[in-house]
Amino acid sequence: MIVLKNARLRGFLRTALPFLIMPAIILVTALGWRAEHYALVSFVMVLLALLLFLSGFEKRELGTRRMILVSVMTALSVIGRLLPLLKPITALTVLSAMYLGSEAGFLVGALSAVLSNFIMGQGPWTPFQMFAWGIIGFLAGLLAKPMQRSRLLLYCYGAVSGLTYSLLLDVWTVVWTYGEFTLREYWAATLTALPYTVLYAVSNLLFLVIFAKPVGDKLHRIDVKYGL
Amino acid sequence: MRSFAEMNPAAVTVHLLLTACITIFCMEPVLLGISLCAAIAFYLMKNGTAHRSFHLFALGVPALFAVLNPLWNQHGSTVLFVINHRAYTAEALCYGGVTGIRLAAVLYWFRIFSEMTDSEKLFYLFRFLSPRIAMVLSMAIRNLTLYREQMKKIQQSQRALGLYREAHLIDDVRGGARVFSVLLTWALENGIITANSMSARGYGTGRRTSYVTFRWHLRDAVLLGISAILAAVSIRAVAAGAMHWEFYPVCDAPPHGLLWTAGIGAYLLLSLLPLIYEGKEMLTWKRLRSHI
Repeated sequence: MIVLKNARLRGFLRTALPFLIMPAIILVTALGWRAEHYALVSFVMVLLALLLFLSGFEKRELGTRRMILVSVMTALSVIGRLLPLLKPITALTVLSAMYLGSEAGFLVGALSAVLSNFIMGQGPWTPFQMFAWGIIGFLAGLLAKPMQRSRLLLYCYGAVSGLTYSLLLDVWTVVWTYGEFTLREYWAATLTALPYTVLYAVSNLLFLVIFAKPVGDKLHRIDVKYGL
Repeated sequence: MRSFAEMNPAAVTVHLLLTACITIFCMEPVLLGISLCAAIAFYLMKNGTAHRSFHLFALGVPALFAVLNPLWNQHGSTVLFVINHRAYTAEALCYGGVTGIRLAAVLYWFRIFSEMTDSEKLFYLFRFLSPRIAMVLSMAIRNLTLYREQMKKIQQSQRALGLYREAHLIDDVRGGARVFSVLLTWALENGIITANSMSARGYGTGRRTSYVTFRWHLRDAVLLGISAILAAVSIRAVAAGAMHWEFYPVCDAPPHGLLWTAGIGAYLLLSLLPLIYEGKEMLTWKRLRSHI
């Protein structure tokens, strides 16, 4: 699925972002800016990373169907996020990535984050959530074949991605509250968030155990029947 | 002049993002205070006294953070008292308070942004970046309400068939799972039908024409220009270090020079812009009504 329309712009972003713009920002920061810009830099870096992913997607056959299915899965996971405590958003993102591909996984994760935050509350954390969920979806798409074969791998991926998501967002919490990243405060933040980290991992695992077969079968059926 | 919410969404978004971003990346209590007061005032003007729980959350959590910060933050030189052999310092309390004000202000600005941006405006904004993403987002928003309706229908028919009882916990969970499963099948098939009918109508074959609901007027350009100039002045002041406070070991304000005054003044105007627009509309309306 093609996301950015202009091919030349896409090509430019794909080479310039990782090899020029992002290293340049890191270098300038490292060479002595005050610590208070740390939050700004990390915010900008995450936005650039999102842009990089969006510019990496190429055109494919049957783009429209895949696109519509992305919007369907996004809406379903947003509905799921409104449940109390347990959120199936990661499970649905991983399953869509397994059967619809990496790009679709990235988009379902990232777009569910934006959309559900319109209900849960937008904030400067939105790009970080988009990035975290997007990456979880993207990696699941890369591991699609082995995960379709081995259920165990899928469950492990779900649990680990719950942990990673929480740890990634703790980095954000520390950078944003203290203006800089220190290991001591990071430990404090992870310890405070420990119940949530465990809850994320457990709920991911739980939803994958419940959803893996029915949702997987349905997505597979759509894939076979309509030939995505 | 029209009310703030009715201006072009792009101009409004740029204004709100600039206002919020300066708040996020600045640690100057005066500027943060201005930001918080302006945001609360605008929010109250739009919503009245509704949403009490949001006020409680947006003010309570930062206040809690301010009080708790000295407990795990040992910097600072003025010890107020000692708990568990750990010093509770005035500087850490001060730092926590300022961070709390910043957090509250940002929460209010983003809430204002969420309330003023509906799906149509979102579509308009994302078109600049990518029409495809805009399409997917806007369809997903429509699907949300569609699926809620469909879920209700499925639930009713399942209950009518006597397939689950709500009083029974395990039965209820299994029933819920079945409803979700039915919804998923229906949603996927429905999505494919939508995709087919879009392709049949020629979606994705050529340049897409679209109906633009929001036009650019002079007043939008004026709003954008004013916001850009005011934000540039305050960003210049922040970047030059005129707003840079030292909290540890002792609280130390920067000298209040010309740049500081200019930055604060510009930010004051910037954050009050929505209130000015909205207030002028309200006055006009009141005056027109009193003439009747």
